[in-house]
Amino acid sequence: MPSSIIWWAGILLEAVILFQGLRSRSVRRYPFFYIYSACVLLVAVSTYVVYSSNLSAYPIWYWSAQLISLIAGYGILLEIFKHVLSPYPGAEKAARVAGIVVFGAIFCFALIYPLIKSQSSPGVTMVEFERDLRTVQAIFVSGLLVVIAYYGIEIGKNMKGIIFGYGLYIVTSLVSLAVRAYAGPSFTEVWRIIQPLSFDVSLVIWMTALWSYHPAPIPESRVRLEAEYEALAAKTRGAMGGMRSELARVARP
Amino acid sequence: MIQLILFSLIGALLVFALFFAMRRGPRTEGSSKALVGARQALNSLQAGLLPPELVERIFAPEDYEYVVSQAPKDVRDLFCAERKKVAIMWVDQVRQQIRSLMRFHLGSARFHAGLSFQTEIGLAVDFGGLLIACRALQVLLYLRGAYSAPRMVGATAAAAARVCRISEESLAFLNAASIGGLGDRSAGAAHLL
Repeated sequence: MPSSIIWWAGILLEAVILFQGLRSRSVRRYPFFYIYSACVLLVAVSTYVVYSSNLSAYPIWYWSAQLISLIAGYGILLEIFKHVLSPYPGAEKAARVAGIVVFGAIFCFALIYPLIKSQSSPGVTMVEFERDLRTVQAIFVSGLLVVIAYYGIEIGKNMKGIIFGYGLYIVTSLVSLAVRAYAGPSFTEVWRIIQPLSFDVSLVIWMTALWSYHPAPIPESRVRLEAEYEALAAKTRGAMGGMRSELARVARP
Repeated sequence: MIQLILFSLIGALLVFALFFAMRRGPRTEGSSKALVGARQALNSLQAGLLPPELVERIFAPEDYEYVVSQAPKDVRDLFCAERKKVAIMWVDQVRQQIRSLMRFHLGSARFHAGLSFQTEIGLAVDFGGLLIACRALQVLLYLRGAYSAPRMVGATAAAAARVCRISEESLAFLNAASIGGLGDRSAGAAHLL
């Protein structure tokens, strides 16, 4: 019964977000987010229909639907690039390169991991598979947020809500999936409540943040530098070298 | 169990990243206002807070020797404690200069499409190292006191002057380009420079 309430509440919130997005024309501004939202709504409704009509088909449908919504969730990363990082070409480049480095590292790990794992444990379950995909998502989002925080980039209210809601959902999903994979079926009942409930919390955050359109803050007029980036970096590096040597002298008794 | 801890750590990393990205206030470095602000801060440091003679006075061993030879123990202890506080505050000023330089670099670099990721990583490590070194120095002063190492006095004064000069240079290379490029709003600001 509680899971049904959470389920229906989620569907209702999704519908409200989409309706409000159409009404405030935010759909045009954040198309990837709303594609994701529509996708999740369809998945939720169809999963409920399958659950009610054909229980035996439910597990297969559930995992397929989860995979679809998980892939659609990458659209949110595109929104971050488009609305948060694009006014800052340098920070955007740093985020892009960091993303490629992270992807390369994960790809290498994915190639090596099965070789190590096959010796110690049997095949990968769907829970573990979803957990691994959520891990990749968590690492990507963390990387982007580190770049945003490091370069002190201001985030608008709409994007703040999108990122915070999605980040919160990834964290709760990742941890609950990890606990489920560790504890086994005994945790399933709790997990069935936690997973959709955390998504409902994210939906409330999105609904609040996207109720009306708040444009992303425009960076102040940038100082036009005579020197190029290389000169700036070299100057900073030189200045720090000097500071370091002076500090070393001070530290010496 | 190791897997569970690993995934929980990744979750915690995302929570921290979310917290820092969300709470971060707007950074104005890279704008004309920031240029003027940084310049004014440097001027006030050079003119009022960190002139070499003042630093030499703070760390002067003669004061310590005089107090030790003339004053009772209570006064001597109070004097040492007060001087230690002043020395720690000085390192804090150095730290702030490094942070200011860091903020200024990041504020400018984030707009450069030609940014080098490798250079940025190197600079991030350097900035982090310097900030940690300053903290370590503060701990050293806290534990051993301002007069524990006599050779520190001269080096301290030199470091103070050097830090201000470096900060001045890091601002100066922006001046020529920015004054010409800034709009009406910045005209007054450029005048201040």
